[in-house]
Amino acid sequence: MAARNHDQWMATPPLQKGEWIDSRVYTDYQIFEEENEKIFKNAWVPVCHESELSKPYDFRTTSIAREPIIVCRGPDNQVRAFLNVCPHRGMMIERRPSGSFFEGQPSGNPKRMTCMFHGWQFDMKGSCVYVSREKEGYQDRLCKDDVGLRRLRCEVKFGGFVWVNLNDKAPDLESWAGKPFECLRKSLEAEPLEVFHYHKAIVDTNYKLWHDTNCEFYHDFMHYHNRVTGFNDAYFARKNEAFDNGHIVVGTFEVNYDKYEGFESRASLSFPHLPPNQWYMIDLFPGINFNLRGSALRCDVVTPLGPNKTMIEFRGLGLKSDSKEDRMTRINHHNSIWGPFGRNLHEDLIGVQGQGNTMMPGTEPRRVLHGRQENQTIHDENGMRHYYDEWGKWLNRLPSSPDKPYAAASAVTAAE
Amino acid sequence: MAWKKVCGVGDVEVNSVKLFDVEGVNVLVTNYGSGFRAIPPICPHMEEPLDVSGIVANCVLTCSKHLWAWDLRTEGMLGETEKPLKFYETREEDGALFVNMVEELVYDFDSEDDLDDDFFG
Repeated sequence: MAARNHDQWMATPPLQKGEWIDSRVYTDYQIFEEENEKIFKNAWVPVCHESELSKPYDFRTTSIAREPIIVCRGPDNQVRAFLNVCPHRGMMIERRPSGSFFEGQPSGNPKRMTCMFHGWQFDMKGSCVYVSREKEGYQDRLCKDDVGLRRLRCEVKFGGFVWVNLNDKAPDLESWAGKPFECLRKSLEAEPLEVFHYHKAIVDTNYKLWHDTNCEFYHDFMHYHNRVTGFNDAYFARKNEAFDNGHIVVGTFEVNYDKYEGFESRASLSFPHLPPNQWYMIDLFPGINFNLRGSALRCDVVTPLGPNKTMIEFRGLGLKSDSKEDRMTRINHHNSIWGPFGRNLHEDLIGVQGQGNTMMPGTEPRRVLHGRQENQTIHDENGMRHYYDEWGKWLNRLPSSPDKPYAAASAVTAAE
Repeated sequence: MAWKKVCGVGDVEVNSVKLFDVEGVNVLVTNYGSGFRAIPPICPHMEEPLDVSGIVANCVLTCSKHLWAWDLRTEGMLGETEKPLKFYETREEDGALFVNMVEELVYDFDSEDDLDDDFFG
């Protein structure tokens, strides 16, 4: 077909239901707010890795859906999460991105979290241990037991990641993501892992566009090096497998790194129990990616900042037991794919930013297609179809027509 | 008796505190004008290092974090202070200050409560 006029451009594509969506799911402020409220405040998010708070009293601060969070390791070595909010007057308690409570702060004491505003103090279990001039001001009407921190669901799991859920009653993490992790569990849990790389990118795009890119490999046409060296029979046989709760796993295949110019085999440093040079990818709803390329693990997590603004945090991990030399090799392997001069990551960011440029709040709705059917192999777009079906349930909106409720559409489908 | 030399009497200025290592034990010495006191290095309230936060004036040692204070002449507690300081016995001899180091003096602190970790169970 030649280029189209407006009516033709806006017409329904000749594809089945669920094989395309309306771009308003990426551009609408109301939908962004609903996603924070209905999805991110109820989903498990790996906010950091336990190796980033390796000693008692170490902490990190972060946020989910605008809620400020502090994660700290107690003297009993347990990692716990709390809202980073003082129960007194709502002040943010800790302002540093990371550090240790072992040494005292200018307004606090060693081994305590201290709110600098009025000097209230909390221990690593979130119990209030000091209220300044308590008796004088509150007599016996309010005491320390009444003003503990807000503790959050927190589990250290699937290779030492620290997962937090803002909903006290959400399903447990095992039932949420245990199935998709089965393929890598032995490799990630054989021995302690350690973060050797962290960076974040704030990209003018919707978080789902980023997650889409992690869920489909058709865009290997953009990755010049992948295209010219990677397309072979084993590559095209790779499966995209869908799991409950909107997760997908991209099945493994053996990468011939020695066929890549300037690369070497990763066999000697492959993760425990992983056959040499294998490559797995786990994509969790609503926007978390675990990517194990033989010797190096990457985890990226999204934080939506607006309909058209997304923070992506990237971590690279190796084995804690690495020798100095092995660690350097592992870092080299990580960076050669995902570093600033690597093969992939910067190209992925160009892709999603280009989409972000065409899909800003207020732009005319576009049709975004994900109707490729290739027997659920690598260039099939079943991963995205699976994701948006889940998304529709959480928001009760139809992805292809977000003004309409998902429930009504599925009732119609059932009736058909 | 195990008298150990800590410092010279001129090493700690009037109205100040100074930290010394006495054979592996941290001892805080304060010169309050009319004498010396030797105490453990932290506040008995919340483990605050007193070489950083201790203020000496008018023969009173005050921890600047929560204003617990002790009279250094009588060793008594002042104001809202809830726990006494522990003191090493001292003596001055030939321009030096000695402490009687029988054992390291330490304070008991409340341990963290025993909330179990099945918090949301």
